[in-house]
Amino acid sequence: MKKALLKDSLKEIRNSYKRFISILLMAFLGVGFFAGMRAASPDMISTIDNYFDSQNVYDIQIISTLGLNNDDIKALENIEDIKKAYGGYSQDVLINYEDTEIVTKVFSIDNINKVELIEGKMPENPNECLVEKAFCSRTGKKIGDSLTIEEVNDSIIKEKEVTIVGTMNSPLYVSRQRDTSKLGSGMVSYNMYLPKESFDSEVYTAIYVELANSKKMVTDSQEYNDYVQEVTTKIEEIKAQRETARYDEVKASAQEKLEEGEAKLQEEKVTANNKLKEAENEIIEGERKLNIAEITLNNKSKEAEQKFKLAEENINTAKAKIKEEEENFKKEEHKANEQIELLNKQKQELEVNLQSINTNIEELQKNLNKINENLNNNNLTQEEIASLQAQKENIEKALTNIKEQKAQLEAGILGINNGLEQIQNGIKEGKEKLNNAKTTLENNEKELNKTKQLTAKQLENARGEINSSKKQLQEGRKTFEINKAEYEEKIKEAEKELADANQKMQEIEHPTWYILGRDANPGYSGFMQDTKSIENLGKVFPIVFFVIATLISLTSMTRMVEEQRVQIGTMKALGYNKAQIASKYLLYSGLACLIGGSIGMIIGFETLPRIIWMMYSMMYVIPNFVASFNVYFAILGLGLASVCIIGASLYTVLKIVGDTPAQLMRPKAPKAGKKILLERIPFIWKNLSFSRKVTVRNIFRYKKRVIMTIVGIAGSTALILTGFGVKDAISDILIKQYENVYNYDMQISLKSDLQETEIENFIKTLEEKEEINKIAEANMTSGTLVNGENEEDVQIIIAKDEKINELIHLSDRKTKKEVKLEEGKIAITDKVAELLEVKKGDSIILKDADGKESSLTISDVVENYIYHYVYMPKNLYEQLYGEYDTNVLFTQNNVKDEHEEELASKLLKEPNVNTVSLSSNIENVMDDMMRNLNYVVIILIVSAGMLAFVVLYNLANINISERIRELASLKVLGFYDKEVYDYVTRETAILTTIGIIFGLIGGYFLSIFIVKTCEINVLRFGQEISIPSYIYSVAITVIFTVIVNIVTYFALKKIDMIESLKSIE
Amino acid sequence: MSYIEFKNVNKEYKMGEITIKALDDTNFSIEKGELVVIVGPSGAGKTTTLNILGGMDSVTSGEVIVDGKQVNKLNNKELIKYRREDIGFIFQFYNLVQNLTAVENVELATQICKDSLDPETIIEKVGLKERKGNFPSQLSGGEQQRVAIARAIAKNPKLLLCDEPTGALDYKTGKQILKLLQDTSRKEKMTVIIITHNTALAPMADKVIHFKNGKAEKIETNQNPTSIEKIEW
Repeated sequence: MKKALLKDSLKEIRNSYKRFISILLMAFLGVGFFAGMRAASPDMISTIDNYFDSQNVYDIQIISTLGLNNDDIKALENIEDIKKAYGGYSQDVLINYEDTEIVTKVFSIDNINKVELIEGKMPENPNECLVEKAFCSRTGKKIGDSLTIEEVNDSIIKEKEVTIVGTMNSPLYVSRQRDTSKLGSGMVSYNMYLPKESFDSEVYTAIYVELANSKKMVTDSQEYNDYVQEVTTKIEEIKAQRETARYDEVKASAQEKLEEGEAKLQEEKVTANNKLKEAENEIIEGERKLNIAEITLNNKSKEAEQKFKLAEENINTAKAKIKEEEENFKKEEHKANEQIELLNKQKQELEVNLQSINTNIEELQKNLNKINENLNNNNLTQEEIASLQAQKENIEKALTNIKEQKAQLEAGILGINNGLEQIQNGIKEGKEKLNNAKTTLENNEKELNKTKQLTAKQLENARGEINSSKKQLQEGRKTFEINKAEYEEKIKEAEKELADANQKMQEIEHPTWYILGRDANPGYSGFMQDTKSIENLGKVFPIVFFVIATLISLTSMTRMVEEQRVQIGTMKALGYNKAQIASKYLLYSGLACLIGGSIGMIIGFETLPRIIWMMYSMMYVIPNFVASFNVYFAILGLGLASVCIIGASLYTVLKIVGDTPAQLMRPKAPKAGKKILLERIPFIWKNLSFSRKVTVRNIFRYKKRVIMTIVGIAGSTALILTGFGVKDAISDILIKQYENVYNYDMQISLKSDLQETEIENFIKTLEEKEEINKIAEANMTSGTLVNGENEEDVQIIIAKDEKINELIHLSDRKTKKEVKLEEGKIAITDKVAELLEVKKGDSIILKDADGKESSLTISDVVENYIYHYVYMPKNLYEQLYGEYDTNVLFTQNNVKDEHEEELASKLLKEPNVNTVSLSSNIENVMDDMMRNLNYVVIILIVSAGMLAFVVLYNLANINISERIRELASLKVLGFYDKEVYDYVTRETAILTTIGIIFGLIGGYFLSIFIVKTCEINVLRFGQEISIPSYIYSVAITVIFTVIVNIVTYFALKKIDMIESLKSIE
Repeated sequence: MSYIEFKNVNKEYKMGEITIKALDDTNFSIEKGELVVIVGPSGAGKTTTLNILGGMDSVTSGEVIVDGKQVNKLNNKELIKYRREDIGFIFQFYNLVQNLTAVENVELATQICKDSLDPETIIEKVGLKERKGNFPSQLSGGEQQRVAIARAIAKNPKLLLCDEPTGALDYKTGKQILKLLQDTSRKEKMTVIIITHNTALAPMADKVIHFKNGKAEKIETNQNPTSIEKIEW
């Protein structure tokens, strides 16, 4: 390019900077939007890829219906391309928190699927755990607090009391969605991680496989998927063998157990039989002994009777003898007594004699004593003494005589006494003898009687003993019979158990390995789906911008080239060739394109993916977003923009540059006016006012401009409407779910182990509460619907009775007619029906939490917006799963707001209640989520608004510059400013109106498309755009039009008639 | 007082630091119903004078009175009203609205005037009865200029201002146009001012104003203006 030409080109930019900027702005918007939207999806993917690489997330996961063991790991690790296989444990548990049970899934910590530690430290001891941060905020627990794990069946977790040592994010759960569970509410609320040592199980729950080269690849890329597929195929090769091995193992161990059981039973049978026999023998022996004892007793009693008889006879004989002897004795006694009397008479005589003698003696003695006294008297003369002496001698002699007589007497008395004594002794002796004999007899008799009594008592006792033994024996017999029956029953039972075990062993199913890729992880697959949606959006939105950018540059450049006809002609005349001349315009548009595009690219790459990420981060927890500069999209975006903008310029320049200089230097013949089709319909044309005719004709005159305006306005209106439409679609679901479908205000989930009466009583207390209007009982569990390859998790609701119809409306999605559950069939919600490609009348497989599959017929597809549900009649449930029990209550309340909250918190304290959720609270939470969606709307509106502005501004500019002479003429003719303005803007108004109409139509379809692409699996987005959204979209476009029109008004006012009409350059 | 008074009018343009004096103390007057021809070399101030008279440009100083109205004192809106009701303008390049047929171009003017004439009649008057439904591009230059004249006179203006009306036309056509203007002036008693650099046209006028260096240097009055048919150049 020649220097002068370059200078001219650059000066041109300065002179017509408005035009330059408008092209630049289009390039900015086009490239920026394209780059940003397109880069968002790869950015999201590379973010999750980095995250997965750093957390070493598995490439392949293997689950078996019979668990997995180290042999499986070894077998897997032998496969080429498998770097390492890790066995992991997981189990759902209940954690008690205040009065609720929180369903928690416990995983083992390993070097695969490494958790991201947020706070605290990694567990070092088996009783240390990591929990989710959200768990802490819900329960108010902190690091250092401990938790109690409730006992569950088949628990493989050793620890019952664990301490929180940190919080974490699990790469296996990047979304807020958790797994379904057989426990509690049927959904896992939080995850928890424990060291491997805390688990006690002979099999792993799952094996996670790390591939050798996968880290080098981007997850979910074709390359990665092929690689994983390749290894999966290899795993499938060993699958059957491993399954069989496991089957044999399990069967063998079951067999062993069964045999052990059988042996034990046999042994026990023998022991028990022996014991029984022993017991029976004992009883029989006892009976025999008892019989003998009875006989002996009878004999003894007879013997004793005879003995007693004999003894009595002897006694009687003895008695008779004694009587005889007594009579004899009495005769002799009589005789003896006569003698005694005689003797006593003699004795009395003797004693009288003796007494007289004794009196003599005493007198004598007294005399003697008197003499002795006289003697002793000193005053006595000798004679006296001698007389005295002589007297004394006489007395003494008499005394001696008397004494001799006395002695004789006394001897006689003595002889009598002796005789008496002898007789008396004889009597006494006889008497004594008799008495003795009598006493002996009496004693004998007494003894006999005593013995008799004793013997009788003894016999009595013996008989009693025998009787009680008899009773005891009878009782023993009874007990024995009962025990025997019991034992027989038990044996029967044990035998049945064994038979059952045997049956079960026979029924042990061949295990199945499920080889799953990352896409089986709901969070990951949801995320990937979302990246696809974003990618689709990125493909659609920028098209609008590029089309409009092309149109704008086409018109701008056409105008520019037209304006410079003469200059081009001059240059041509001067000898510049086509390329040189064209280069000026290409440089102009190229620079605008490059500068605008580059700025757009940088801003687009930096902001749009971040904003989109921000929106998605309310659903996903993935750290470290990577906003990369995507060279591919940069080049593609700039390339596309260049093709559109520079291409458009080239087209216009080439169209003109071929003309001869002479042609060019003459003014271009103004575009000819011509009759339009409408004029041929006089009915309409005649009725148009003059100015309207002009407007209408003008519209058809400048087709390019018309198309640009309509497309531009339509495009931006469509984008704005799409923004609002997307918002409507999403915000609508809440309103619809809680107005059209759910009519209940509160959902109370009950504790799992309640008795029927407890529930009944609880409901009664609820019914008595004034705050509650209606109550319905239901059972809510989770399951999976399967149709061929496709599976979707669902909630199953089984209503106890008809009451539920007032709280949950089942209606056909299309006809909106109320639907009743049919016997033996299920109703499913429409989104899941759509996802699984089934319709009314089809049959579908329902898999419950235990994996039991039942094929059921769909009676209806019902309206629903959030999550998937299966409605099942109670009797079908009972038929499939046995007894129905209520675990959820739905209520309609008479109170609102804080009163309702109060009610809920009161209920939560009830011992029967597990959780209480208020519809209004759910609505609020969802509302917050929805608020974030306003970002989408804002992005769309701002960019659409910018687009509208650029289009309209350009249009106005072109409109004025292209028709400046015409407008100046009008001014000269004396058109008021307002009239000139109307003359121009009436056209704009009509075109804008048409554009808006097209835009609304286009926006409707665009938003349906966007909603379809963005739709989340578990949500049914609304597909209707609300009237206000249409109004807002129109209003916003109109506002932009008005702004541009105001600018136009002043531009028109400034038109210099003289300059414009001077003459044609 | 004359119908039109141009008193000591000065007009200066500022082009950056240079001041160009387009009109330098210009004075002239025109009577009602006169056909005036303004002649003079390029840059003498002819067009400026016409623009000022037509209410398209303002004066730097001096006084312009048209039919007792002090034009130099009118504000923007009054100026537009003045143009709308009192002035008819004819340009060298016709300045027709391309998208309107001949008669519609006339209508464009009449619809904004109070006492406008019937467009059909006017078109007939200018001799385009047969072509009234044609678009400008379908008309020859002379025909287009006729439409322009029709558009100007249809408003029934007090003053018809023509800036080189024949500049882009061939001799014969030009003559026809001038004839039309002369006839209009005569028949409708309309004050007509024609700018031309062709001094040969001077005899057709009632009054000839010679411009030179921004001044009305010489004003001649023809007692007996020649009919245009008789003028040859």
